[in-house]
Amino acid sequence: MQSSTKITEPKNQWTARLLEFWRVFNKNRMGVIGLGMIGTLVIIAIFAPLIAPYDSSSTESAQIGDIYNPPSAAHLLGTDDAGQDILSNFIFGTRVSLIVGTFAAFISIIIGGTLGLIAGFNGGRTDNLIMRFTDIMLVIPDLPLIVVLVALTKPSLLNIIIVVGLLGWTTTARVVRSQTLAVKSRKFVLRARGIGAGNRHIISHHILPLVMPILVVQAVLVVSNAVLTESTLAFLGLGDPSALSWGQMLNYAFGRGAMSIGAWWALAVPGIGIVWVVLGLTLLGQGLEQVLNPRLETHHLTPGRPVVQNERDEFGSGKSADEKSGNILLDVQNLSVNYVADGRPPARAVENVSFTLKEGELMGLVGESGCGKTTLMLSLLRLLPSAGQIVNGKVFFKEKDLTALNEEELNIVRWSGISIIFQGAMNALNPVRTVGDQISEAIIRHLPDFPRDKRLDERVIELLDLVGIASDQKENFPHQYSGGMRQRAMIAMALACNPQVVIADEPTTALDVMIQAQILELLDDLRKKLGLAIIFVTHDLGVVAEICDKVLVMYGGVTAEYADVDTVYNEPRHPYTQELIKAFPDLTKPKKKLTSIPGYPPRLDALPAGCRFAPRCPAVFDRCHIEQPPLHKLGDMHFASCHLVEGSK
Amino acid sequence: MNKDHFLEVRGLKKYFDAGRPGLFTRSRDIRHVHAVDGVDFDLHHSEVIALVGESGCGKSTLALLLMGLEDPTAGTVTFDGRDITHLNDRQRKDVRRKIQMVFQDPYESLNPTQTIEEIISEPLHVHGIAKEKGERDQRVRKALEDSGLKPAEVYLGRYPHELSGGQRQRVVIAAALVLEPEIILADEPVSMLDVSIRAEIINLLAELRITRQIAVIFITHDLGSVGFFADRVAVMYLGRIVEIGTMLEVLEKPGHPYTKALLSVIPVPNPRLRRERTILQGETPNPIDVPTGCRFHPRCPVAIEACKASDPPFVPLSKTHQAACLLLIK
Repeated sequence: MQSSTKITEPKNQWTARLLEFWRVFNKNRMGVIGLGMIGTLVIIAIFAPLIAPYDSSSTESAQIGDIYNPPSAAHLLGTDDAGQDILSNFIFGTRVSLIVGTFAAFISIIIGGTLGLIAGFNGGRTDNLIMRFTDIMLVIPDLPLIVVLVALTKPSLLNIIIVVGLLGWTTTARVVRSQTLAVKSRKFVLRARGIGAGNRHIISHHILPLVMPILVVQAVLVVSNAVLTESTLAFLGLGDPSALSWGQMLNYAFGRGAMSIGAWWALAVPGIGIVWVVLGLTLLGQGLEQVLNPRLETHHLTPGRPVVQNERDEFGSGKSADEKSGNILLDVQNLSVNYVADGRPPARAVENVSFTLKEGELMGLVGESGCGKTTLMLSLLRLLPSAGQIVNGKVFFKEKDLTALNEEELNIVRWSGISIIFQGAMNALNPVRTVGDQISEAIIRHLPDFPRDKRLDERVIELLDLVGIASDQKENFPHQYSGGMRQRAMIAMALACNPQVVIADEPTTALDVMIQAQILELLDDLRKKLGLAIIFVTHDLGVVAEICDKVLVMYGGVTAEYADVDTVYNEPRHPYTQELIKAFPDLTKPKKKLTSIPGYPPRLDALPAGCRFAPRCPAVFDRCHIEQPPLHKLGDMHFASCHLVEGSK
Repeated sequence: MNKDHFLEVRGLKKYFDAGRPGLFTRSRDIRHVHAVDGVDFDLHHSEVIALVGESGCGKSTLALLLMGLEDPTAGTVTFDGRDITHLNDRQRKDVRRKIQMVFQDPYESLNPTQTIEEIISEPLHVHGIAKEKGERDQRVRKALEDSGLKPAEVYLGRYPHELSGGQRQRVVIAAALVLEPEIILADEPVSMLDVSIRAEIINLLAELRITRQIAVIFITHDLGSVGFFADRVAVMYLGRIVEIGTMLEVLEKPGHPYTKALLSVIPVPNPRLRRERTILQGETPNPIDVPTGCRFHPRCPVAIEACKASDPPFVPLSKTHQAACLLLIK
């Protein structure tokens, strides 16, 4: 009993995985067509003796009058130079071509796969030796070598398979090696070593499962290559005379006057066969690649309507028009953003968020991952992915409503009015161009009229100086910069067009505390020096306490609390803010136990009915599950959306 | 118990070759990266020691050395009275059962093609323990639930991509626990997680040390996260430990200027407590060209002339607290 369950368990898993694979593959039109094309040929090859109208080996029935007969009822595809039925020859030829292709490819895949795996896994000298050998093999022109080898040995089917197989492994070795290298350097392999796993276990359990998909795709392409090579050889007269392949059919037709007689069918039929196989395999390979190669995954959001649908402002406070805006740079009112995907309810990523930002002011935008922080920032400049849609609200930048501008007008504001330092962008610098080069490109891209002479160089140096990078580092490449320096370079780029507002999306998240402190100091300096208004997006409340003027805490796409910095940290009213502060280790109280907020932020497409924080809230009561709390005003500069603060000041 | 001889690290060094050697590189052209450059410390039974330093200070290499995933250039590691510095594969496998590691990035340290059950039972499979299915299942379940993933059934059949970052890190911890280790090496286990989840993972590790008497080496760049949890703190700079002491000693009476600077930049979640920060400029120097004398002197705010010349020895500040700085010598 025991053993039987053991066996069936993984088997079920595998069938489940196969079914899942088929479900995805089935949607890939290219792959399905390719599979159909090849499947037909495989069936023809297997049942050749049953399908073929004539036995290909018998020539007894042939008579002089039968030579190069055009297609007729007796011979659907005509006859060849020996008076044989071309359809029958084609059907039996399919067998030969597919057998040679499959077996030769099998040899190539085994050799290439093994060598690639060994080279990639062992690295060092072994890798060096194997790959240099592969390089040499790649440099030698394939076809002449194969021709020589086949001519030297006897041109039998077996010899052809061996020679083609032995010479066709190079690309496979390279592909497998690079994938092995990529997988090997991943942390889970190191972890497997850490638990005591040996090389064999690591290869079979961790490397192979991730190399396999690519090997399968590669195998399909190698088969196609082998079929072509075999056809070429046979056409050149180096085929096995006892096994009639498509190449051989071409060879006979070509050499025995089919062209001069005008017997096109003798040439066209095997030609179409070859094209059919190669096309089918290529389509299949492409289809498989799209399904199996994780690097080609497409985005799950379907393209939606990027057009802004601006409803009438129903909730609008309507204050900004009348109120003295003074030096208010950015005034966001009741902004809501939805993500629309076909067949699913819209994800309400941002709902009714309002805030203002003055010159030289630094606002912290705080919340856990998936709380809509980045979406809110992107929507200010309408840089949302195509499924994102501003459904309500206004964004006033210097009293101009950005949501009402067209693309062209908005482009002027982007970068020279408001610029964004994207999350993780410092790791997305172009590795083959110098940092100075990339900064000057940013300048020209956004200020096309900027003079492209010494002044451009001077501007780059000026920007680098502003962010604390010595001018002699200008000609360095990104990899010569440390993480902190790259982030400084990104800030320099964001400042290229003298923006008044800079949005920094998690600019210090991946950095060490000391470098984080350096970047914070830099941002603080910049706003004092240039009067910049800065929005600092982070999940780390502690970071913003050091430099912010005010803080907007977001949860599940809505404003949880919005207040000046002192109030947020010393008199927080929303339970979420209170919990976030408790989760942060306070050095002044090292003995205090840390508390965490149990659970996770809600999925934006499956929001709870009432307050979005209710499922995790320590102070939750009945009403929270039914009614979504509005944003209550608690003071001049203090707002919180919680039922508990209702009516209090 | 032999409290003082649990894990002893003496003069541990690891030099890497700088640059990738090609087929024709002569060995004398190779320069060395001094990743770990003479580290000594002890770890006691069920003790939590925090290893703090900036990236590039060698703390991750040190972890790999202790795990036997890198071969040290010099020095010894003794575990339970047994020298484990250089072992053959079979002996190493034995030791690995006792010392397990939790990696920084929970998105990278789980194989995406394995289910949670496969991931957690893999160590048992590798070591050939709990071969009987019932026993194996039970151990996997216990490890999962001890790591806070309850009920285990919900998680067993899932793939890593279906879990959140915090849950993944718990899976990594469960896969370490299933072997019932005596030491867990946690390399920046929370730095990739949201602040709200960090406390959970730290509390989990703190709990394990109480319920299972596991000693923890907690590697981090953030001195702020070691309070409450660590018994002792060791501060690393450029391949060496520059200060070591009990948690309160290091946090409240730091001796080394580097520790003081690290402490001063830790964000305090209260704007009323904004204070003077010592922000060190530049970054940890390249460990290929280690500065002469005290390796911290080029960035040190209080360096004197003598610091350029002599490498400071450890100066005892109390029975349990030492720091390597010339200014502390009276």
